[in-house]
Amino acid sequence: MKTLLWIQGLTCNGNTHSLLNAENPSFYDIFSKIKLLFHPAISSDEDLIKIIKDITQNKISLTFLVVEGSITKNKSFCRVGDFSIAEIIDQLKDKAEFIIAVGNCASFGNIPALYKENTNVVGLQYIFTEKKGLLPPNFKTKSGYPVINISGCPIHPAWFMQTILALYYEKPLILDAFNRPKEIYMYLPHDGCIRNEYFEWKEESEEFGHKEGCLFYNLGCKGPLTHAPCNKILWNRTSSKTRAGMPCLGCTEFNFPLRENYFETKKNIGIPEEVPLGVSKRAYITISGVAKSLRNERVKKKLEETD
Amino acid sequence: MVKIQKTILSRVEGEIELKLIWEKGIIKDAFIIAPNFRGFEFILEGKPILDSLIITPRVCGICGHAHLMATVNALENLYKNAGYNIEISKKANLIRLITLSAEIVQNHLRWFYLFVFPDLLKLETYTEDLSEYIPIKGKQWQKAIDFSSKIVKVIAIFGGQWPHTSYSIPGGVVCDPTTFDITESISIVDSMIKYYEENIIGMKYENYLSIEDYKEFIEKSDKDLSKFLKLCFKHNLHKIGKAYNRFLTVSNIYPIFSQGATKRKKYNFNIKKLEEIDTYSFLTKKGIDFNGKKYSWAKAVRYEGFPYETGPLARRINNKDKLFLNLLADLKDTYIPRIWARIDEIIKLLLAMKKWLQEIDIKEPSYIKPKKNIKELEGIAYGLCEAARGSLIHKLEVKEGKIKKYDIITPSTWNLGPRCEKYLSPAEKAIIGLDNSLIAEMVLRSFDVCSVCTTH
Ligand code: SF4
Ligand code: SF4
Repeated sequence: MKTLLWIQGLTCNGNTHSLLNAENPSFYDIFSKIKLLFHPAISSDEDLIKIIKDITQNKISLTFLVVEGSITKNKSFCRVGDFSIAEIIDQLKDKAEFIIAVGNCASFGNIPALYKENTNVVGLQYIFTEKKGLLPPNFKTKSGYPVINISGCPIHPAWFMQTILALYYEKPLILDAFNRPKEIYMYLPHDGCIRNEYFEWKEESEEFGHKEGCLFYNLGCKGPLTHAPCNKILWNRTSSKTRAGMPCLGCTEFNFPLRENYFETKKNIGIPEEVPLGVSKRAYITISGVAKSLRNERVKKKLEETD
Repeated sequence: MVKIQKTILSRVEGEIELKLIWEKGIIKDAFIIAPNFRGFEFILEGKPILDSLIITPRVCGICGHAHLMATVNALENLYKNAGYNIEISKKANLIRLITLSAEIVQNHLRWFYLFVFPDLLKLETYTEDLSEYIPIKGKQWQKAIDFSSKIVKVIAIFGGQWPHTSYSIPGGVVCDPTTFDITESISIVDSMIKYYEENIIGMKYENYLSIEDYKEFIEKSDKDLSKFLKLCFKHNLHKIGKAYNRFLTVSNIYPIFSQGATKRKKYNFNIKKLEEIDTYSFLTKKGIDFNGKKYSWAKAVRYEGFPYETGPLARRINNKDKLFLNLLADLKDTYIPRIWARIDEIIKLLLAMKKWLQEIDIKEPSYIKPKKNIKELEGIAYGLCEAARGSLIHKLEVKEGKIKKYDIITPSTWNLGPRCEKYLSPAEKAIIGLDNSLIAEMVLRSFDVCSVCTTH
């Protein structure tokens, strides 16, 4: 039976709790297929330190090593018993078929990496955009894959589940430039957003609290600049930030915590500093001009009042 | 002979170690060690003010929504303290209460079935058939996952997602729900109430709410809560885990939570009487210090110099709920009342949610833009919130459009922080005198341990 070991560095547990929300498969469904060796929030009788020992002595084979949280070698700031999280990863890295970083912390260092008193906080293979994480840039696990990053603050449970299942069924996984599964991160939150019609016609929200309007031009939405399928695979299978009326924060990107002023759009002489992916500033200006000069009556009205 | 035993606790939120000092088979002293530290308060320094709405929920993956609410409350108080009136529609207020309650319900369900129940399986060593509660495989365990995940769909309806939305901002909420969003939420709450009645209390909620005596409940019910309580009595757990009999709640949510500090009598909560003490903490006013007797990243927090227990039991006592006043008289502030209070709160929150959902008038504004730009404000403000584990306090200081200082006191700091010169923390006190390390762990779990919040 394939096995999975879940360990945590500096974390908020948000990925764990997001994962408990999983549907198709649910948390308990997946662990009828795969043996859960240990999870800090779930396990009852198992002893993590003994499991690690058994893995290093080849008594247990480890298929998936899952890491949640940022990594530090500094035991004063993060400790599992007598070990640092970095030491544990070091012991297991050549034993696991796959290593999976769940969430932005394990992938890119994220918010804990901003803390100045502990200068050694990193992701597994990256620190923000640079390939200078705990493991060397060319590191690969037994299966030939680098650390597979499932970024997001937090992850969507389906992103994790489908990645694990694809590997379980021995399907090849295409990774993007940040070693994230392409089939998840090839979409943008902009794809499928119910405010797209407003984006198209440049009907821009001026303030929060309305169903109508696009949040891109004034309210900081990063939907067109972020790799994540939040409006394809809905959150809690129900909705998404942008559907509810909150700007996308770009929480799946390496630079998520480096950004500032999430609720406003930085502009230069009326033009957003960052334009949608794949589009030049010039093209954006032209298309905006055209859209604004033509009129879509529908987007000018409250939704309840449209024809 | 003094023996020192150190255990890493699983089935808690994050990393917690329990260090027990044994003498002649009795626990003479207990240290709760929170070994991890991320530095959120320092990371917030120098950030634009509104970015706190994005960063503080990420302190905790299980009660992040409460952190969002505490931050919003602090930011709105910043306006008030600077002399600006800030208007929040009734609708926005109701939506905030609804989503906050949904998070608390989620927490209590996961805590009871995932963290607490497995301990009883160990005590029973499987003599009784408790297979329904076995982690991952057990039917009741699975249902707890299903329904705790279902209630947070209400947060997704209004806030887009759970965990980690920042949909509530100074002036209201960003969403603009339709009637159908509200009716869907009511349906979710209805199905939760039904689940609670059929699985947890084994009777109609009206009947449960009229019960004032624990023996009556145990006799009348044969579902999960009653099964749990019967096992507790069987294993003599009704005498363990006594803390200080002092209870703190910092904010009101009518009719289920009322603020106050109870030590025999109830007094109003006054934030000025609160104090953080770093004698045993690595984190001090003068910087980080690993020397000597220091043993945890958490600070001690005291009210009028005394340790107070916060959380559902405190809320039940401060709210003067009859059943819990009686439980306190019969069993004191021990393991059973502390656990029962968490389970009891679920139905009270669900019923309140249903009422609030029906009261929403969708024609009201969701958001009323504050007249003054927050970047022009300066000053100090507190944000108070009742989170799943108890009283959560944020304090922020802003200057020149930026956060100058941010201080977070979480419920876990009250309950599981380190000692001060005079007093142990409530959880440390509750463990001393026990003669079994599993029971010691159980007492600790009865406080609903969250190390990520304890240290942040
Ligand atoms: S709100 Fe954001 S994601 Fe939605 S259409 Fe506008 S830019 Fe795209
Ligand atoms: S919409 Fe944006 S901020 Fe929200 S979860 Fe998706 S990528 Fe993250």
